[in-house]
Amino acid sequence: MSWRTLRVAVPFVAAVAVAALPFVVSDTFLLKVFTYVGINVVVVVGLALLFGYAGQVSLGHSAFVGIGAYTCALATVRMHAPWPVAFAAAGIVAGAGGMVLALPSLRLRGHYLAMATLAFGELASLAFGEATPITGGVDGFSGIPFPSLGPLVIRSASGLYWLVWAVAGIALLIASSMVSLRPGRAMRALHGSELGAQACGVDVVGVKVRAFVISAVLAGLAGALYASVIGFISPSVFTVSASVTFLAMAVIGGTGSLAGPVLAAALLTLLTYLDALIPGISRQAAQTVQSLQADVYGLAIILVVLFAPGGIGAMWRRKSREGERA
Amino acid sequence: MARLGTARWCVTVLLLLVLSIALVGCSSASSSSTGSGSSGSSGSPIKVGAILSLTGPYAALGASEKNALELEVKRINDAGGLGGSQIEVIIEDDATDEAKAVAAATKLIEQDKVVAILGATGTGQSMAVRTVINRAGVPQISMAGGNAITGTFDPLVFQTPWPNSIIVPFVLKKMATDGHTKIAVLSDSSGYGKDGLAIITADAPKNGMTIVANEVFKPGDTDYSAQLTKVKNSGADAILLWTAGKEGAAIVKQAESLGLKLPMYGGSGQAKIEFPKGAGTAAEGFVFGTGKSLVPANWGAGTDEFKVVDDFATRYQAAYGAAPDIFAGHAFDALNIFADSVKRSGGDTSAAKLRDAIEQTSGLVGFGGKFTFSSSDHNGLAEKDLSLYKIVNGTWVPIQ
Amino acid sequence: MSALLQFLIAGLKNGAIYSLVALGFTIVYAATGAINFAQGEFFMLGGMLGVLLVNLGLPLPIALLLAVVGTAAIGALFEVLAIRPIADGDPLRIIMVTIGGSVLLRQIALHIFGPDEVPLPPFTQGTSIKVLGAAIELQTVWIWVLTAIAMVGLFLLYRRTAFGRAMRATAINREAARLVGIDTRFMVTASFALAAGLGAVAGLAVAPLTQTAFDVGAGIGVKGFSAAILGGLGNPVAAVGGGLILGMMESLTAGYINPLYKDAVALVVLLAVLFVRPQGLFGGSGREKV
Repeated sequence: MSWRTLRVAVPFVAAVAVAALPFVVSDTFLLKVFTYVGINVVVVVGLALLFGYAGQVSLGHSAFVGIGAYTCALATVRMHAPWPVAFAAAGIVAGAGGMVLALPSLRLRGHYLAMATLAFGELASLAFGEATPITGGVDGFSGIPFPSLGPLVIRSASGLYWLVWAVAGIALLIASSMVSLRPGRAMRALHGSELGAQACGVDVVGVKVRAFVISAVLAGLAGALYASVIGFISPSVFTVSASVTFLAMAVIGGTGSLAGPVLAAALLTLLTYLDALIPGISRQAAQTVQSLQADVYGLAIILVVLFAPGGIGAMWRRKSREGERA
Repeated sequence: MARLGTARWCVTVLLLLVLSIALVGCSSASSSSTGSGSSGSSGSPIKVGAILSLTGPYAALGASEKNALELEVKRINDAGGLGGSQIEVIIEDDATDEAKAVAAATKLIEQDKVVAILGATGTGQSMAVRTVINRAGVPQISMAGGNAITGTFDPLVFQTPWPNSIIVPFVLKKMATDGHTKIAVLSDSSGYGKDGLAIITADAPKNGMTIVANEVFKPGDTDYSAQLTKVKNSGADAILLWTAGKEGAAIVKQAESLGLKLPMYGGSGQAKIEFPKGAGTAAEGFVFGTGKSLVPANWGAGTDEFKVVDDFATRYQAAYGAAPDIFAGHAFDALNIFADSVKRSGGDTSAAKLRDAIEQTSGLVGFGGKFTFSSSDHNGLAEKDLSLYKIVNGTWVPIQ
Repeated sequence: MSALLQFLIAGLKNGAIYSLVALGFTIVYAATGAINFAQGEFFMLGGMLGVLLVNLGLPLPIALLLAVVGTAAIGALFEVLAIRPIADGDPLRIIMVTIGGSVLLRQIALHIFGPDEVPLPPFTQGTSIKVLGAAIELQTVWIWVLTAIAMVGLFLLYRRTAFGRAMRATAINREAARLVGIDTRFMVTASFALAAGLGAVAGLAVAPLTQTAFDVGAGIGVKGFSAAILGGLGNPVAAVGGGLILGMMESLTAGYINPLYKDAVALVVLLAVLFVRPQGLFGGSGREKV
């Protein structure tokens, strides 16, 4: 088997494994857990484009997840919109929010965008809690219906799992075709040297804004999935610390890679559910891991930036280059 | 050679991954279960699910609740179980996370086939599992204090702590008795504060009091000059503070240093030791209302309530080396309400029968007081279960 | 009238705290060209260390001093371990490391000190000072005094000492500073220690009024950064001005509009300044300050 075939084979095997999971796993709890992994993957694919390719930091992406979730909830519950319409609306509204935030701040240097997104995230979580007539305030918004496509209501654990991973798969496909084509090369050029990219005729601001809007749309869609799968949303979910978690996944996953962030998103999400994954694990051990979870994020960000700036993605690429040479 | 090796290695890892997932799927997932019926009882055990926050911000609360549940299950099973059947409580951790609470509820209902859900620890998590509960028709007994849990009524959902809807009128009545007519209200913008404020604004006029200042602050605020200055200039003759956050102590302190010397009142939010400790001398004389069981002697020796609370406290102390806190008490009540209902339904644990039996709970003595549910009241506690306390020398003493 | 005076006093009190935190941002930005997202955690560490030392039985003044020195040492250590290896690289990497560092410092504080709020005794006991119907808490006076001392000290350090000149030179052009023999690596470490020390002073000064807890850092970090941006990043005098203006705006919003909008003020100001005038109120023309 050559390395080239492997590059096709690995994603293929992974896709088959992901799709086949509900046939081998009967545990509904576990299926739910892997459904949540899929939702986080949708967010992190967007962040991988933004951070890993366009070199921008966002500390406010859970605000876009929240905007998508509340849009979906309002559209289905208050306006009785069909679910696909609500789902699309979630992406559009979040994307529009992303555009408004990105246009001015991306004319500035990287750290300004980071702070602008942080302020935006804080403002959004204030708004989710205070705009009680619209969002249900701190008590949350309940009774959000299951996803439905026409007369088909998706309510089983495996159905929801497939829906979420179908969206994640499509997001991954679009993202990977983007990065291998012209827009992706422009984005990567940005990460190398902004000035250099500009000199080569890359529309720097345009590329950055596009990456930011796409990531906001994906976050919004993930929010709609979250709202529909759980059926209840509240402001306590869409916080700045959740944004930091998403960012950690993208950073640890590595720059210039999609597989790395996806793997990181899966691993970091599963940390929360260790007790479900390892049946024999003692409560004490699960609890210890859980209380150290944020420590792991913080430390991993530092270690990756210091010692492995490319993250998991770069390790994979290095390995693959060695493979080519051998 | 190296190339082939790497390639094989990758495929092997992937295959192993798929295999291990399959294996995990076949074995039953985690969850600690207590008291499964191994002792010689006849019927299969009655399974009840508990969703607790054993990790995350509410971990301390969840730990107390777990202790109380395990203690009570053992007591009931040692005494022969319920009508010959042992109880098995399957405890799931929601990590103070709503998504995980929903996953846990799904697993408990669909897979473990529990007949009822106890929990969750937090209000958000309790509300989040409602969708799952409703779909299955399984009753839920929550140990969280949020008014929304039984305030936003759901026929399947019951609640054990004292909610704002009974504490607020109780404290307002005390303020009226103390002769206050113009009051200032300081509440926080969290669920607890908002909820309390709504009841205060509705009930104050009924007690002949006008709200002359209605000031709100945010959890995390550190300066209250604006609110306190307005209170000072409002001509109020007393202050009602409604918050469960750490801001309570700072507000009382700042009020003192701004020269605001009005009598102050509050609720359950002040029934934790951090409040008098943080506020120091400024908290002296502060009056708050909460459950009688905060000081068990309140019930009076010889009363049924005292016996139950005291017995529980003694056994809890013996088992865990510490006195039970109110969260342990709320979990104690949730399990005993469930057990009592199963007994009354004659062991019929079908969802509808069990729900009706819980709703028919009447005069059950617990930690919170005497529980009597009805088709419109799923909290079942009343003013008789509350008491007033005053802060004296850095701790609380009941007001007779 | 006395109400307005009371609001102004509160504004100046909070503004002074924001100024101290904003100065921390400014100093690190001048030395590294990056935003230190862990600045708020130094505020938290100062307060928590102070409480810890007082509980160990140390006299208050010594506990306060040790808390400031200790926090400064932690700041320096953080720089040496995590910033120095990448100090000459992309500011984006420094930002990421400080984001990771802020999470880690907060978690360590949680594991050591626990989740509950803890009190610190006031620096001097006594009743408030009454001025024209308004009251000034003694601790507020301490906040002003400490802020003034910190600023004058910083000014003298920067203008009158060889060390300060070296720091300024490093901020203006690191390469050139290195060429004239300045140990620029040490200057970056010193700037982190100084920023951490200032954060600790702020955290200690506020703790007697509000109590403190492991999670107070994130909120004050955003406020301090808003103040620094409002004044103009990289300019110490502007940072102080930005802090005082932000404090006033918040206090007047709380007093005359709605206390719930107070936190939104800083966030809206931050976004507005970023979008409209990124060089800040007191910054020069559009030229990016180095």
